[in-house]
Amino acid sequence: MIHLLAFFLYLGAFLLWIRFLVSGARGDGPNLASGVVGLAVVAHAVALGSFWAEHGELPLAGPGAALSTLAFVGGLALLALLPVRQVSRVGVALLPFITVCQGIALLVGIQPSDQALAFQGAGFILHVTFAFLGYQGLALASSAGFLYLIQHHELKAKRMGRFFHFIPPLATLDLLGQIGVWVGFVALSLALGFGWAWTVQHPEVIALSDPKVLWAILSWVVFAAVLLLRRGRGRREYRSALASVVGFSLVLGSYLVVRLTSPGSGFLP
Amino acid sequence: MEPRRSLPLAVVGVSHRTAPVEVRERMAFDTRDAEEALLRLRATSGVEEAVLLSTCNRSEFYLFPTADRRGLAAAETIFRERAGDLDRPTADFLFRRHGEGVVRHLFQVSSGLDSMVTGEAEIQGQVRDAYERATSLPVQPPMAGPVLNRLFQMALSVGGEVRAETPIGEGAASVASVAVELARKIFGSLRGKRVLIMGAGATAELMVEALARDGVRGIFVANRTLEHAVPLAERLHGHALSLDRLGDALPAVDIILSSTSAPHPVLTHALFREAFPRGRRRPLLAIDIAIPRDIDPRIGDESEVFLYNVDDLRKIVDDHVRVRAGAVPAAERIIQRHSEEFRSWYASLEVVPVIRNMRERAESHRQTEVDRLFRGLDHISPEDRARVEAFSRRLLNKFLHDPTVRLRKGMLEGGGAELVDAVRFLYGVEGGAERGENPEALLGVEGTPEIDEIPRHSHDMTTPPHSDTMSGRDPSRPKETE
Repeated sequence: MIHLLAFFLYLGAFLLWIRFLVSGARGDGPNLASGVVGLAVVAHAVALGSFWAEHGELPLAGPGAALSTLAFVGGLALLALLPVRQVSRVGVALLPFITVCQGIALLVGIQPSDQALAFQGAGFILHVTFAFLGYQGLALASSAGFLYLIQHHELKAKRMGRFFHFIPPLATLDLLGQIGVWVGFVALSLALGFGWAWTVQHPEVIALSDPKVLWAILSWVVFAAVLLLRRGRGRREYRSALASVVGFSLVLGSYLVVRLTSPGSGFLP
Repeated sequence: MEPRRSLPLAVVGVSHRTAPVEVRERMAFDTRDAEEALLRLRATSGVEEAVLLSTCNRSEFYLFPTADRRGLAAAETIFRERAGDLDRPTADFLFRRHGEGVVRHLFQVSSGLDSMVTGEAEIQGQVRDAYERATSLPVQPPMAGPVLNRLFQMALSVGGEVRAETPIGEGAASVASVAVELARKIFGSLRGKRVLIMGAGATAELMVEALARDGVRGIFVANRTLEHAVPLAERLHGHALSLDRLGDALPAVDIILSSTSAPHPVLTHALFREAFPRGRRRPLLAIDIAIPRDIDPRIGDESEVFLYNVDDLRKIVDDHVRVRAGAVPAAERIIQRHSEEFRSWYASLEVVPVIRNMRERAESHRQTEVDRLFRGLDHISPEDRARVEAFSRRLLNKFLHDPTVRLRKGMLEGGGAELVDAVRFLYGVEGGAERGENPEALLGVEGTPEIDEIPRHSHDMTTPPHSDTMSGRDPSRPKETE
């Protein structure tokens, strides 16, 4: 029930941002939307805490629980951005991802894992936590990159309309994208390291050739590519923004493929 | 019903609506000139209160009272002398407003409705400066006395309200402010960003000054002849260079402002490619306001270059101006409401002496009649005399209570002038307040905020003008030109 409340609060915050954007988007950002995000994160924390208390395991294993925790990490990241003027407007692009994650989690059911005993221990917790941080880093970079591309288009088209006024400056978005990708890359690298160590300890639970492992490696390659694309001649910031959006889409797409081809596998993002 | 009396206020001056810049600049006043003009105005015309608002778009004397035309004539003389020889009479360029038109005009000015760029914000500070200059003049009574003090305080408040409640000031509405807004949207903070100015035009200088206020540092001024670039570079604390060295400066700058009079592009695509053989890595904002254009339009196709020419900027400004124009009706409604409020406040000053005289007259009648009564009733005890006295006072107060309350209410609702006339006629009383009189006591409106704000030091704060001057029927009143 509290998970559902968090979902609607995320959705409400997103709609408030949209309303602000449509109404002209001038002046300071809507404090109401920021307040609703705060409430959503609090409700979500209570829901995940209740899950832990009720089932005796962290909500990290099992697709529903893991997706909900991934959404929660996104909510926390957005909450950290709220005090920074204008930057909080990235929420308009990040909130759909958070809301969809929480929505899917509710659809598949936020249940404890059948293999809860296997998915425990410090190594596993560190692996999943860093993985969540990594994916949220890329989600943040992708959101910033998406807004960057729109703002870049508005400036090139010489329009100073709703999007121009709503979206933060290009330099701010580029900086946010860089932070997201670097934090994500480092976190995902650590997650892979901890994951490898955990897999070696528990070869009976998951093999290195498992689609999930391959997906994690592909994600890491995407991160590395996004970082590499920033180098090279010309259009550095534009390429970086585009790469973040494409890279995140690739990670999400491959996630769906893996999820659909191995149903009921206790998939971990 | 008799038409409402006009306020004894007047404004005379020039603005961008009535005079071209060549005339306006002659009639502009710096701070010292403005102070001298105000002092001279009082000395020669006897005008009690005056404020002079002088900006690049207007020079206006606000005067109170305007019982005779001496104040207006003196102000026009000052303008005439400053203008010197013009190809037309100075009066042709002057506009005049009277009464409530002055209130509405000042409120429109402070709200930016009368500005060249509708809704521009600078005028608010300029109105405040003009008011404070008049207030700070070391003369007694103060140059901005109770009426103009009230008027200008309200004007500043109305200006703030209009900007807060309507989109009148939204969106950049000048080329310079569009440049700043674009730069902010590209670079975020402008601190430490470098600017290259090509040519030494006034608009480019305005733009770079606006950018410098946002933290831009490192200004390069490039001109065909180096000597012409040096004065502007010195004024902006920048570096001068000749156009031959443009390619050297390009990699270092983030913003280019161009306004040369060259007949062909100064910054060619080939020169750009030479400066950035591997493509520009960082964003570059290029604003080209020259005609013909200084910057090859193909440079705008480069991904990291945001090139705007004068038509692009004009279109953006026009879009914003349309949004602002749409806000004018709402702004006018706010102005109308506060104009009425000022009118009511002023009427409250007018009604005070009428009420006082009415009560004094009634009290005089009461005392006369009571004395006559007691002359034939010597046997009455002192206690009974006191009772009769008290009875007569109570009766008098009962009779006067309703007229006083209704007069006050009518005045606050905006119909006070007619009621004052009626009371004068019915009770045979005249106005003519004495110095230092407190309107609250007579009106029974203790705590009324408007009246509380009247400065107590003024000797004539409740002095209404002579009734003739209030009639608004002065045949010598000049025609409004605007």
